[in-house]
Amino acid sequence: MIVFLKLSWRNVWRNKRRSLVVITSIGIGIFAMLVIMAIMNGMNYQMIDNTISTSLGHVSIHKKGFLDNMKASYGFRPDKGIYEKIEGTDGVTGWAPRVKVQGIVRSSEASQGVMITGIDPAREKGVSDIYSYTSVEEGSAFLDDPAAGDVLISEQLAEKLDLLVGDRLVIMLQDSKDEIVGDALTVRGVFRSPIDSFDKYVIFTGIKRLQNLAGMKNLVSEISVRTDSRDSSIDVKVYLDRFIEGPDVIVQSWQEMAPSIMSAVRLFDAMMFIFFGIVFITVIFSVANTMVMAVMERFHEIGVMKCIGTRPLNIFIMILFEAIDLGLAGMAAGVISGVAVNLILAVTGLDLSIFSESMRVWGTGSVIYPLIMIKDIAASVVVVVLTAVFAAIYPAIKAARIKPLEALNFI
Amino acid sequence: MKKKSRENVIEISGLYKDYRSDGLAVHALNGIELAVEKGEFSAIAGPSGSGKTTLLNLIGGIDRPDRGDIRVSGMDLNSMNARELSELRLNRIGFIFQAYNLIPVLTAVENVEYVLLLQGVDKTERRERAEEMLCSVGLENEMKRRPSEISGGQQQRVAVARAMVSNPEIILADEPTANLDQKTGSALLDLMKKLNKESGVTFLFSTHDQMVMKRAGRLIKISDGKILKGGRGS
Repeated sequence: MIVFLKLSWRNVWRNKRRSLVVITSIGIGIFAMLVIMAIMNGMNYQMIDNTISTSLGHVSIHKKGFLDNMKASYGFRPDKGIYEKIEGTDGVTGWAPRVKVQGIVRSSEASQGVMITGIDPAREKGVSDIYSYTSVEEGSAFLDDPAAGDVLISEQLAEKLDLLVGDRLVIMLQDSKDEIVGDALTVRGVFRSPIDSFDKYVIFTGIKRLQNLAGMKNLVSEISVRTDSRDSSIDVKVYLDRFIEGPDVIVQSWQEMAPSIMSAVRLFDAMMFIFFGIVFITVIFSVANTMVMAVMERFHEIGVMKCIGTRPLNIFIMILFEAIDLGLAGMAAGVISGVAVNLILAVTGLDLSIFSESMRVWGTGSVIYPLIMIKDIAASVVVVVLTAVFAAIYPAIKAARIKPLEALNFI
Repeated sequence: MKKKSRENVIEISGLYKDYRSDGLAVHALNGIELAVEKGEFSAIAGPSGSGKTTLLNLIGGIDRPDRGDIRVSGMDLNSMNARELSELRLNRIGFIFQAYNLIPVLTAVENVEYVLLLQGVDKTERRERAEEMLCSVGLENEMKRRPSEISGGQQQRVAVARAMVSNPEIILADEPTANLDQKTGSALLDLMKKLNKESGVTFLFSTHDQMVMKRAGRLIKISDGKILKGGRGS
């Protein structure tokens, strides 16, 4: 078997230029596959991370139905000792109570339907990235007192409502008794998150101020929990579930709260595989064409090999190895260049600021950090080997069936 | 004193082979009767198109006859399938071609070793035997060279070594000197004769070269698919 490996490798290099063209085409295919896959992974996971770090959280404890109807009447009283339980859970890096109520914000210029979120500023820093998104220029600052009449709005909303830091606005909402109530708040700071819809729709104020206004006393809408990684959210959710009493309060992970995100990721994956399927169909024909040419060029030589006793199976294997050699050489070129470029981009980031508005709609941020996964590299290896084998079957059978006499008379 | 009779390694009787060319039947072999004894150094001579190569191809199991019997080393070729013929070629017959036909990507020693590898000989023995064979054909300094790096005469010596290394009973050579100059051809013939004497292997080769005919132990003359002289029917 080793001699046929050796023969196949040397045969590959008999026509260097032709082999290099095939190897390059496979290499470019693999390179494109890995880079595009990594960019898509990066975009998907940045979208997920941004959603988690702005509004969703890794795990949330809330009343059943709250996500569909964010009203003050969906508040609940946290169980005694639940915060200590959360604090002591493995994988939890932070938690914060929140009150979320849909309402309207008005300025002298305009009004806008919003999600009013009451936060504990100190705890919120450990759960979401709103603090880091808050501007520190022109007097803007993050909230500090949960009872103060301050509000944090996005730059986008400030522009629409024509508000500056220090200006006042009015919020109106339905309290826990379904009465319309309102309050005047002072703009303490402005923020800009990577998600366009979040900036258009969410404002922050102190949790105590909002509890008082909505008549919720010490009730909260949710307890948002941050975990040390995306993947540990399921374990944390399962663990916390044991401590939650009462049939109406539930614990959900981000995957359960936003199934549409996971569907979008799966859809992207499926689209990528269709795209790669098309790329590799072209590679199949390229390798098959090369191998048919190689067999026809060596028709006489293969006949001589059969004359001196080489078995058809050996010829079949030799041709198959040649195609696999081409595939593996192309794959090595593609994987090395693809991984290298991805590693560099993973550090420097891929700056797509020129599409920043579109990127904000996707919620990915304007700098993408490609994420290469072992499974993608493994998939490329399997795909290339299968492609090469598949492409070589016809020429290998053709070579194995060469009749020595015909081949000897063939010039 | 009566000459000691030897066993026949090739026995052919009533052999016919036709080809079709432009719809017309061409009688390539027309009732061949031939016996070749073990250890002979025989030449099949005849003009171009007389059926020399067809006869060698049939003896080597590369082609099938239309009629007639061929026995090689006592085995009836007509009753053997393609795989059995392949095994016969591998283990009992060595081939030398007019155009050398070495595997271009293998070195001289690897070309010789290749046949042993197909026979399943282990690595150390394989290399030893291949090197020994190349030394015996005078190519001890060309072992690591590929066919494109050595002369035509040297390539044909490698082909002789490849044919001999598996210890076959018969070596079939189709015009082995046709592509060589007079001097190189003569040297190759000397070499083949020496190997024939030393190892006792039977050589049967086709030629239309007068010099080769003169030096053959036995001359079988063939024309229009019939043996005219030297056939010694089986």
